[in-house]
Amino acid sequence: MQPDATTISEMLASSDIAAEVQTVLLGVVARVSPSDAVEALAAFKAAGYESLVDFDGIDTGEAVELTWRVRSYALDLEACVKATLPYDGEIHSVWNVYPSALMPERETAELFGLKLAGHPNPKRLFTTDGVEPLLRKDVLIRTVEEVKNR
Amino acid sequence: MSPTLAIIIRLLAILILMLTNGVMMIYMLRKVLGHLHIRLGPVHVGPYGLLQTPMDVLKLLTKEDITPRAVDKWLFFLAPAVVAVPSLMAYAALPFGDGLAAVGLETGLLFTFAVLSIVPIGILMAGWASANKWSLLGGMRAAAQQIAYEVPLLLSVLPAVMIAGTMSLGGIVEAQSGTWLAVIPRWFITNPLLWPTFLIFAIAGLVELNQTPFDLSEGESEIVAGFASEYSAMKFGLMFLAEFSNQFVLSALGVTLFFGGWMLPWAPMSWYEAVPVLAPAVFITKTYIGIFVMMWIRGTFPRVRIDQLMDLGWKRLIPAALFLIVLTGVIHKVVV
Amino acid sequence: MSDPRVDIMRVGLLSEGTHDPGTPPAGIRRAPAGVDGLTTEHLIINMGPQHPSTHGVLRMLIEVDGEEIVTAEASVGYLHRGIEKLAEHRKFNALGTLMDRGDYVSGIHGELAVALAVERLMEIEVPAKADWIRSLVGEINRIASHLIWYGTFGLDTGAMGQFLYAMRDREALLDILEAITGQRMTFNYVRPGGVVADLPEGIDDKIRAFCDTFDRYLDEHEALLGGNEIFQARVKGIGVIDAEKALAFGLTGANLRAAGVDFDVRKARPYAAYPELDFEVPLGTTGDAWDRYVVRMGEMRQAARMIRQCIDGMPEGDYTAKVSKALRPPAGEVYASVESARGETGIHLVTDGGDTPYRMHYRGGSLFALQALEDIVPGHLIADVVMMIGSTDIMLGELDR
Repeated sequence: MQPDATTISEMLASSDIAAEVQTVLLGVVARVSPSDAVEALAAFKAAGYESLVDFDGIDTGEAVELTWRVRSYALDLEACVKATLPYDGEIHSVWNVYPSALMPERETAELFGLKLAGHPNPKRLFTTDGVEPLLRKDVLIRTVEEVKNR
Repeated sequence: MSPTLAIIIRLLAILILMLTNGVMMIYMLRKVLGHLHIRLGPVHVGPYGLLQTPMDVLKLLTKEDITPRAVDKWLFFLAPAVVAVPSLMAYAALPFGDGLAAVGLETGLLFTFAVLSIVPIGILMAGWASANKWSLLGGMRAAAQQIAYEVPLLLSVLPAVMIAGTMSLGGIVEAQSGTWLAVIPRWFITNPLLWPTFLIFAIAGLVELNQTPFDLSEGESEIVAGFASEYSAMKFGLMFLAEFSNQFVLSALGVTLFFGGWMLPWAPMSWYEAVPVLAPAVFITKTYIGIFVMMWIRGTFPRVRIDQLMDLGWKRLIPAALFLIVLTGVIHKVVV
Repeated sequence: MSDPRVDIMRVGLLSEGTHDPGTPPAGIRRAPAGVDGLTTEHLIINMGPQHPSTHGVLRMLIEVDGEEIVTAEASVGYLHRGIEKLAEHRKFNALGTLMDRGDYVSGIHGELAVALAVERLMEIEVPAKADWIRSLVGEINRIASHLIWYGTFGLDTGAMGQFLYAMRDREALLDILEAITGQRMTFNYVRPGGVVADLPEGIDDKIRAFCDTFDRYLDEHEALLGGNEIFQARVKGIGVIDAEKALAFGLTGANLRAAGVDFDVRKARPYAAYPELDFEVPLGTTGDAWDRYVVRMGEMRQAARMIRQCIDGMPEGDYTAKVSKALRPPAGEVYASVESARGETGIHLVTDGGDTPYRMHYRGGSLFALQALEDIVPGHLIADVVMMIGSTDIMLGELDR
């Protein structure tokens, strides 16, 4: 179910990707620099992780942390790749490696106000133009008190 | 009575019949589908929900008639009429009893099919004029269906015509009088030679009527409401009425061609003379049984796809119908 | 192209984009560069969001040549409620209410995913009975959801009867769920630590009675729709998503299993009482609409089997662990997934030690199924598009979040 952390770091090292691999509650997480993310995921794909199960972002307060979750059905293994992007950063699309990233990438880009590079259809997915990047921590929705005071 | 007055009265009778049919069949459809689908159909308006349909008619009559801005106005207005008028005309030659037709045409069969085949033109007009892409697709489908199925429909009835030796609907009914071996009524449906013919007639007829499983031109799950998407109020009502009326006409044709028309099995001719309403009553009852079967099909079948429909028409039904004509001709000449 | 309306519709069609798409991988099909040999003008049709068969508010922009689809692009977001953002402002116990409104046809599974994530973070030991109740309501909800799919799938083909028969069965299930959870669709029943309430008195008999009739009803359903020649002609060989493509597009659940990939979260990452339940995972072979139909019907049968086992084997004990009302999981990050009716429903939960999540990502199966749809639709007829949308069982509430 969970691969060995050393196997993953060896695999990434053999592709010349600097990565910090840890086993945490989330699973085996390989932290790479955003510019390496596409190559790292390609390496995962080459290693038999056929499917990208999930892709999302987290606003850490200083930057946006992207998480890719890849899975191998044949080997029954699951691993995560993480990369941290600045707020004005650019997601490099991995759709050539994992087509399933097409829509989640659009979603993440629009909801965190990021740019999208190398995507065949880099439009907004859910919201219309002009909507603030909703999932950023500095974009506030009304609190319960605010609603009550209205 | 002057001949002009007689014709006017007959036409009025047909008109009333057509309108009553519409109302009756909407109620019937709801009830039949309701029970097929474990729902009840109307129950609240009037006893057994009987007043539901008059209320529906009232609603259709009083609804706002919306004409979208982009439509081709002339065609948009004309289309419901082009759909409704031929279906009224088609009643003209139907034999409700011995010599009891609005117009006793020698070529009644041909006439009925000819006017019925005008209906898809109206549908195409409606689809084109609506300036709506779904309507356009619906209209085009209607045209394709019409071209593909007019042929087998006409060809399919030819064996019956050959056996009856006449194209007059009344004549065809008369040819079915009497019994085989004094037991089986001489209806064409009891003639094994005509069974495949009846099958082709039923299929091609359903296609001509745009009935499930061939209701492609309005297939609501695919093209919204097809040609009728942009129609509202009584324009829509007219199309609706025409659809029901065509259903009646086709069922009546089936009864005439295969099920002995206005005749009861084994009943001597004197009965019909004694009770003049018997023949029309029998005819209409039989027709409604046919309509019930159509509704039954409508309640249970999914819809075919356009390419499957075309495939069936061109590759199967037309060759089969042609073959049957030859077969019937040969057997009829050699055996009978 | 002078008509401005046409230009608006053209924006975003894959064939018209100004961006450099790069070389597509093997799985991706794109529109031919120009008009083909026959010069017929292509029609761009806006299918949805108010279309009878787009199952909610999906909008497909389709470019058709006659009736054949040339390009298709899905446009979503008409039901976007910002569940992920709202979740950052909800206590952990209240997250279930949001998940219910995500995938509103099978709400239990969403609640369960959140509960599992929180339990994993806080290392809560769930009592055995709670696990069994979770499996029980989960499977009841799965059948209810599949029945909706089955009914509407038939509606998409133009048949109407089976829809109302499916509703009849679903009604009985919703009554049972109402008796257990107090709600018919938005349950908020599964909470971190267990479930909200114990099973009511006498519910066993009701459920057993349902299971007994349901097996017979399922045969009836299979005969009514699946046994119909026209239906078979409509779905067989349509919308093929083979294993390679299914994996590339991240499909999960019945859509993936229809392609022959044996992966079920209930088996592979066991949760609730599933390790102790005896069930099979129905598999397809080619991954066409018919296989998806067969797999889902099989799943309903298996679910009914599991419901019986749950009732028979229901252990005694507490229905919830002792947890405080105001949960404060330690700071951390966790991913929990369950097998929902629409595939894998995953919750990526990030906490900072507060009483609300720092970030909650909701991964649903529908979004990924839609991507695959976008890819397979070109080359089919308009009538098939409807069938394909129906067969993949996408749920716009879950997709748009």
